[in-house]
Amino acid sequence: MSLWSRLTNVFRPGGIERELDEELQFHMDERIRELTATGMPRDEATRQVARRFGNRLRLREESRDVKLLPWLDSLVRDVRLGMRMMRKNAVVTGAAVVSLSLALGACVAAFSLVDALILRPLPVRQPEQLMYLTFPTYTPERPEADTFNDPLFLRLRDAARGRVDLFAMSTQVMRRVTFGDNGGEKESLRTQFVSGDAFDLLGPVPAAGRLFTKQDDLRPGDHPVAVVSHALWIRRFGGDPAILGRWFSLDGDGRGLRGRQFQIVGVAERRFTGVEPGRPTDLWLPYAMYNPHAFGNADFGWFRIVGRMAEHVQPLQAQGVLQAAFTNFRRDRVGYMEPNRSPERVAQFLNTPLYLRSASNGTSPLRREFARSLWILSAIAILVLLIAGSNVANLFLARTAAREREMALRLSLGAGRGRLIQQMLAESSLVAGAACMLGLLFARVAAPTVVRLLGSADDPVQLDLGMDWRLLVFAAGLTLLTAALFGVAPALRASGVAPITALKSGGGGSGVRAGVMRPFVAVQVAFGLVVLFVGSLLVLSFVRVSSVNPGFATSNVLVLSLEALPGVDAALKRTALVQVLDRLRGIPGVQAASAADYNAVGRAWTYGTRVPGTEHETIEATMAPVTPGFFETMSIPVLAGRAFVSRDLDARAPVMIVSDGFARRYFGRQPAVGRIFEGRFGMNDDTSGQYEIVGVVADTRYDLRKPAAPIIYIPLPLLANGTLYVRAAGDPVALGSRLREEVRAANPTFRVTSITTQSAVVERTLLRERLLAMLSGFFALVGLVLAAVGLYGVLSYSVVQRTREIGIRVALGARHLRVIRTVMAETGGAALAGTAAGLAAALYLSQFVEALLFEVTPLDFWSLALPLGTLLLAALLAAALPALRAVRVDPIIALRYE
Amino acid sequence: MARQDALQGSLPLLVLKLLARRGPLHGYAVATQIEGMSDETLRVEEGSLYPALHRLEEAGWITARWTTTGTGRRARVYEITAGGRRQLESEEARWKAITAAVGRILKHA
Repeated sequence: MSLWSRLTNVFRPGGIERELDEELQFHMDERIRELTATGMPRDEATRQVARRFGNRLRLREESRDVKLLPWLDSLVRDVRLGMRMMRKNAVVTGAAVVSLSLALGACVAAFSLVDALILRPLPVRQPEQLMYLTFPTYTPERPEADTFNDPLFLRLRDAARGRVDLFAMSTQVMRRVTFGDNGGEKESLRTQFVSGDAFDLLGPVPAAGRLFTKQDDLRPGDHPVAVVSHALWIRRFGGDPAILGRWFSLDGDGRGLRGRQFQIVGVAERRFTGVEPGRPTDLWLPYAMYNPHAFGNADFGWFRIVGRMAEHVQPLQAQGVLQAAFTNFRRDRVGYMEPNRSPERVAQFLNTPLYLRSASNGTSPLRREFARSLWILSAIAILVLLIAGSNVANLFLARTAAREREMALRLSLGAGRGRLIQQMLAESSLVAGAACMLGLLFARVAAPTVVRLLGSADDPVQLDLGMDWRLLVFAAGLTLLTAALFGVAPALRASGVAPITALKSGGGGSGVRAGVMRPFVAVQVAFGLVVLFVGSLLVLSFVRVSSVNPGFATSNVLVLSLEALPGVDAALKRTALVQVLDRLRGIPGVQAASAADYNAVGRAWTYGTRVPGTEHETIEATMAPVTPGFFETMSIPVLAGRAFVSRDLDARAPVMIVSDGFARRYFGRQPAVGRIFEGRFGMNDDTSGQYEIVGVVADTRYDLRKPAAPIIYIPLPLLANGTLYVRAAGDPVALGSRLREEVRAANPTFRVTSITTQSAVVERTLLRERLLAMLSGFFALVGLVLAAVGLYGVLSYSVVQRTREIGIRVALGARHLRVIRTVMAETGGAALAGTAAGLAAALYLSQFVEALLFEVTPLDFWSLALPLGTLLLAALLAAALPALRAVRVDPIIALRYE
Repeated sequence: MARQDALQGSLPLLVLKLLARRGPLHGYAVATQIEGMSDETLRVEEGSLYPALHRLEEAGWITARWTTTGTGRRARVYEITAGGRRQLESEEARWKAITAAVGRILKHA
């Protein structure tokens, strides 16, 4: 009989009984038939057969017993017994379940995040064939770049044809869109420009209408069509098929992308949400509709190159072909470099490698940013799970000791050892199962919370965290593993009871020595230290990075995002802006007000430009268009020259101000003020010209984690959606609503879309650091508390167990310290061994964290002192109560015990 | 009672032998054949036959399936497996050894 049919027997005894009945009935009927054939009357025959058959019920029972799997039967009994034991020790069981569920839940939450962001392949045809291209830039700000320009893309695409089919996908940007059905209100949507064959090569099918084709690539500017995501279709249009053919307008972004009308031609299928896990695309536009300056322009890198490799092609082969085309392109470009460039720079430029990265699970910048953090958090969660598991193991060991007589009795009455092991395992599985349920609930809450922390209000992160079978399998597997890990030792221990000794010693609880628990103490202390060490490194790092001086005022500066009415020209906007600023400066409580085209931290737009008379052929610098008064508002000191004045706004001779870092990097010791060079910021002709440097200001950091990047400030040339900076004398938040009204009153051209403080903007750049510090700090504390509880438990147990011995020692005149040493020495030794092992492991593992640390190294004084000190403190606290109890042992009572 | 005792735990051996020699049989046929071949000396109690059959089945020495008899009724027939044949061999050898030993004692005591 197969195992399956046995199992089904257990769950449907009715079926097997019916079969048995039928079999027996057949037998009886045959017998009756035979007897009547010999001439016996029918009722006589029936009676005889019935008599002969005896008790049919008993017969049935007997056969059924053979058929039902005995162990499954006994398992049910064990589970019932286990439930009873759990109810009896409600508090202890509850603590075990809660600590385990916290750790299990953390593991499940971490797995669901890792799965959604890192592991899950894109829902497209054969995702393993997808790759994207990157290359090193040799700059500290951005070590590896993945944006390419149009001429290079065409060269690469032609070169790789037949081996890899390359297509373009722009970086995703939140853009303002007006659908025109709600009074012209603008909506922020995540948009992406893609080449016409992108959909074909990726594989999604349309849910309605059509997707892009190569025809949409033909003439730049001539294909005003758009594909919307399924999610947007449902969310915004209720799945209305009439969406096809509808027009909407897209705002320009002030950086060369001109606003214009687009017509919706299709909806992508539901499961396709773009190629960036965590940042689903709302709107796809044809690549040909991007800024016309971008085409044929090798200075304008704006999209990723993604590709699908042909069936038979090896990555190395593809890389070879692409590398050759890439290097050739650069060779052609070398002529455009400055004549007095250094040979090293030329060699580096020409020898830049091109990397093929797998895009099977997307090209997510979010993943690049958070993958390592998530793995670290997962590792921490697993360690905490092991600590919690060890606690539960010790708990079960102690309980086994209490139930030693029960075990011994059952053994001597003939229960098999296997039976006892099974019973103990059933109990631990019950605890683990309950913890798993709770843990899943916890994960349901925790994982989305973490996802929210990954994004910000204007750039939210959405991850698909649905409970799919992978997650459930993971949770179930982890639970079983945990149950086995912490259940086996107590189970073996319980079954190893020697009946005679256990039954002879009257008091009970003499059997299991605390020694059995000591390995768990060592394990807990070791893992606890690792978690604590890593956690405190990340917390220390966060504290350091958030105390970095960004170089500008943050605390009382308000940031107001503006939006201009559609159709207002640049000159009008400029006048309106001056009016708004003048009005704001007149409000009491406002110390200074100015505007900029971007947020001074967090957002950076990098342009290449040239400095004549230096070896630098191109300069990578952040360009910041600001109004006069910006440096004063932000409290950025002017180090040389002057700040912008109002006549710079419409001067014929353009001026610029550079940051100290810029001056030092490109001019060294030579003065920067007075230099003139060709500037071409972005692709707009209206920003090109001979710029004179009129001032140098102190460095500011738009990323607190990195050294100050070089910045070029130019007088605000044209404002699309600008940002106002207002420094308040007092509480800036109170001023906020007043400012909103004042802006509207000053000039109706502008509307305030959001108000925040500069400190909030700065904090947002430290998202990852805060998340890591918060979560790892939390789990470090949980781990520490669990380890301390474990230590306390074992120490208390050994004091109780050795009460007699302590009594004798006290009676013989042992001092307090001596008594404490007796009780604690061995456990303390285990804890020390754990500490040593934990420290070694922590130092080894810290190398995986180091890349995320800011000015903290694992061997710093505080990096070592903080976790070790905390651990010591926790250990002392855990030991205090048992020590006190040991000292207070009254020899008379202790010795009378038996 | 006396006649049942005569079986003395040899029922599984007899069942295996019968199934090995005479192919698939249902429970009733097993009982009547044992009784018939032993000239009613050995009477098979239904109360022990079916548990015995099910135990053999559980041990994997015989398998059972439902068939339809000539009279059109559903009957459960048993068949010996390869493992059952091996078991039969060793059981038979053991039985022969025991009866020989008992015989020697009866003869020479």
